[in-house]
Amino acid sequence: MLVLTRRANQSIVIGHDVVVTVLEVRGDQVRLGIRAPREVTVHREEVYAEIQRENRQAAMRPDVPFDVRLPPVPPPPPRRSG
Amino acid sequence: MLVASDRFGELEIEEDRVLQFDDGLLGFPEAKRFAMLDTHDTGVYFWLQSLDDPGLAFLSVVPWSFFPDYEPHLPEGEQASLGLRSASEAIVLCLLTVQRDQEAITANLLGPLVVNGTTRKGRQVVLAESGYPVRAPLAA
Repeated sequence: MLVLTRRANQSIVIGHDVVVTVLEVRGDQVRLGIRAPREVTVHREEVYAEIQRENRQAAMRPDVPFDVRLPPVPPPPPRRSG
Repeated sequence: MLVASDRFGELEIEEDRVLQFDDGLLGFPEAKRFAMLDTHDTGVYFWLQSLDDPGLAFLSVVPWSFFPDYEPHLPEGEQASLGLRSASEAIVLCLLTVQRDQEAITANLLGPLVVNGTTRKGRQVVLAESGYPVRAPLAA
């Protein structure tokens, strides 16, 4: 892992178009600003990790029995706009 | 096309039932292509059989039968990279987790699979600020 030391209001550039700026340091908290092209998704790692973990749980390896009892599909609500 | 799968044996799949995830799914970066199988004939539950790993399959659900108020708001960047111009173009599938005792089945509303119905290209989208759970119980 590359380790850099930065102060408040200093930035690092990742690739050509992602800029991460340290906005504020207070105790053990750091506020970061991130400028990235809109097709680059930026999220807290915890959310990613949570979905990764759930995906692994959801993966149906062949040892999971075939005849999963799925709940019956509820009838559609009377009317839905959109 | 013929597809090998551990769970279903050899499958004959129409090309237009193959979904392409260029980035794979979270935690499964190599799983880029899935066949969408309507094995329960419901149009609501679908098996997703990996074409890249015969041993890998997921159960998924079109969420609105069970979660009529579900409103996944796609970040603008996701919408653009999927080439979606309107919501009606999108296929939305939520992966199901069968809990070990099989008593509970939950749907992942936080990280839905969103597919462009025309191009069949999809992504697992992270709805980070939505507050939706990764484990929403499917109520019968």
